[in-house]
Amino acid sequence: MEKIKIKINGQEVEVEQGKTILQIAKEMNLHIPTLCYLEPLLPQGSCRLCIVEDRGKLVTSCNTQVAPNMDIKLDTPNVVESRKLILQLLFTERNHYCMYCEASGNCELQSLGYEFGLDHFEFETYERKFKVDDSHDYIIIDPNRCVLCRRCVRACSQLAGHNVLGEMNRGIETMIIADTDLPLGESSCTSCGLCVQVCPTGAITDKRSYYFGKDIQTEIVYSNCDQCPVGCGVKVYKRKGSNFIVKIYGDFEKENEGVLCKLGRYGALFEEKPRLTSAKIKDDFGFRKIDFDGIVKVINEKMENSVVYVDGSLFNEEIALIKKVFKDRVYSLYENEPPIKSNVSVGDIKKGDEFIVIGVDLNREYGVIGSFVKRKVSSGNGKLIVFDSNFNSLANITEYVFGRDELESGLEKLKDLKSPIVIYKNLSQKEVEILSKYKDYKFYNLPLETNSIGLLKENIKHRIEKSKNVIFIGKNPSGLKEIAKDSFVIVFTPYDTEEINKFDLLIPMNDGFEREGSFYNIDEKIVQKKKVLNKKFETFELKDIFEELSKVNSL
Amino acid sequence: MKKIKIASIWCEGCSGCHMSFLDMDERLVELINKGLEINATPITDLKVPDDDTDIGIIEGAVATDHHEEEVKMMREKCKFIVALGDCAVFGGIVTMRNYTPVDELLKRGYIETESTVDGKIPTSPELGKHLPKVKAVNEVIRVDYYIPGCPPSADAIYHVLNEILEGKKPMLTGELLKYE
Repeated sequence: MEKIKIKINGQEVEVEQGKTILQIAKEMNLHIPTLCYLEPLLPQGSCRLCIVEDRGKLVTSCNTQVAPNMDIKLDTPNVVESRKLILQLLFTERNHYCMYCEASGNCELQSLGYEFGLDHFEFETYERKFKVDDSHDYIIIDPNRCVLCRRCVRACSQLAGHNVLGEMNRGIETMIIADTDLPLGESSCTSCGLCVQVCPTGAITDKRSYYFGKDIQTEIVYSNCDQCPVGCGVKVYKRKGSNFIVKIYGDFEKENEGVLCKLGRYGALFEEKPRLTSAKIKDDFGFRKIDFDGIVKVINEKMENSVVYVDGSLFNEEIALIKKVFKDRVYSLYENEPPIKSNVSVGDIKKGDEFIVIGVDLNREYGVIGSFVKRKVSSGNGKLIVFDSNFNSLANITEYVFGRDELESGLEKLKDLKSPIVIYKNLSQKEVEILSKYKDYKFYNLPLETNSIGLLKENIKHRIEKSKNVIFIGKNPSGLKEIAKDSFVIVFTPYDTEEINKFDLLIPMNDGFEREGSFYNIDEKIVQKKKVLNKKFETFELKDIFEELSKVNSL
Repeated sequence: MKKIKIASIWCEGCSGCHMSFLDMDERLVELINKGLEINATPITDLKVPDDDTDIGIIEGAVATDHHEEEVKMMREKCKFIVALGDCAVFGGIVTMRNYTPVDELLKRGYIETESTVDGKIPTSPELGKHLPKVKAVNEVIRVDYYIPGCPPSADAIYHVLNEILEGKKPMLTGELLKYE
């Protein structure tokens, strides 16, 4: 980059051309107040708070690039007075009286008010009232608190790729809208919740966390989401001194760039399946409670003629432990071998410009991968072709939609594609054969379960083998039905479902943020899920039971 | 020692700001020893301040014609006006009624409330008439100093009065400046 000389606050500095004044000031540790500016988003310059003076003229520092001979002053009386006026206008345009708003304490507008010593309103306020949109399951939009910074609009398109939020009308009449001014709950919103995370005021908030305390009353645990194998970086806000998660935010520093999907942000908190609350064993009279020693005794008796089935919800440490005790009698309950191995990573998806998606709706699952594909495609920098026999909500941004049975003929027609990235989760043998003809294509396999790759690394394959005694460890026992006939079945699982009550020994496990461990994410990198909550029920740790088992055995 | 005479009134507010004023505790005595003289206030129960009052403190927003008269009287009698608390400074929580017409509000409050039987809207001439909209004090008279907060902390009130007693212009910064 070419260097140029400019002056900042009288000090002559050499700076790279192409950078903005704000970036240079940040590098020099000089403070410029901002509101609409947010690091990963393209600067917009709509709030005007970041103004500085350049040779007598006021310019917005966030979106003005440095130019030769600039003489920039950050805090002249003109700048400070203008910022105060802008703040007055921002505070009085809509209703920004803090006592009306739960965001008070977490609000960037409020912090700016304090910074500039704003102690009264100079203009008439409370003139207009807008309807609050609470039609969405998780998100509330309150236009009364909006400062029209468009962070939400930019995050929705530039980061998350959904393009749901937009703006309507001009000037003071501007409104942030979803789709064509639909209530958010009826719009094409995928509930990724990024707009909530970036909103500087209380205009977009989520229903759960809003009344559950301010950030100052929470502690943040950095973790990885284990809802799916993408393994996004998350910031978990836990209320101090209690066993309770307030909210989950995306981590801007990680591969997912702050983007999460509905499952990661809300699914992990809202989805409450009935839990198995204590260990129980079936005898002639039905179930009765059983304690730790009882469990160890039963398993020890049944170990001899047993096979163990696991699923991809287990962490590496748990898999290693099971493998150590049961050696080669451990199988995966579900298929975990990728039909075609991946040869690209998330980074390549972000850079890719041609995508073929086969049989998976990326708005519903693997949502963050969906975001990365969608933001390339809908910004005009990528092509997307979908093969799906079911309804696929990606269809509205695709070039072509084919049925899955049209794979062969469809790919024939797409000769002009150079080396598209093919994204899939399960493929038939025939589809694999067809795709293998395309040597230039890149492949990105979406593992079926969170730690499918971890199972493969430990060489645990899918195989069905009947045995007198069956032990299942995992979250999804639905595949046990056939295997378990006429066997004594021991199930380690967190959830209480109708089907597990047919089995013989039920041992509750921890779930969600009660668990801790590592797993292989979609790119075969090891990521960590951190423990945030203490256990809520009489659950057991595999480690304790297995350690006791090996002790008993060695005697 | 020069005495500084203060008076205070309480319009459309909850008295929380006056509670905060009393929350200065022994610092109130310290201020009095420094020359603060408390004239007409809801605490002394005198209604009309002396003509030579230095500082008039107003709690609460302007919601009725009575409030309007009172704040105007304060402006006449006092050299400086301090708006105390969010209602006086910003209009506060009581501006919530600004989005609904007054007659609808009175009907809802006095007649339609679920627990009310044979309700009627009070019409005594002694009562103030509601203005169409609740206003912050600075929309009616000129205000010299503002102490926002709901309520403002005793520290903030002490800081402002102490600065005035020491002949300085009070400025609220840091922890003293709060909107809630």
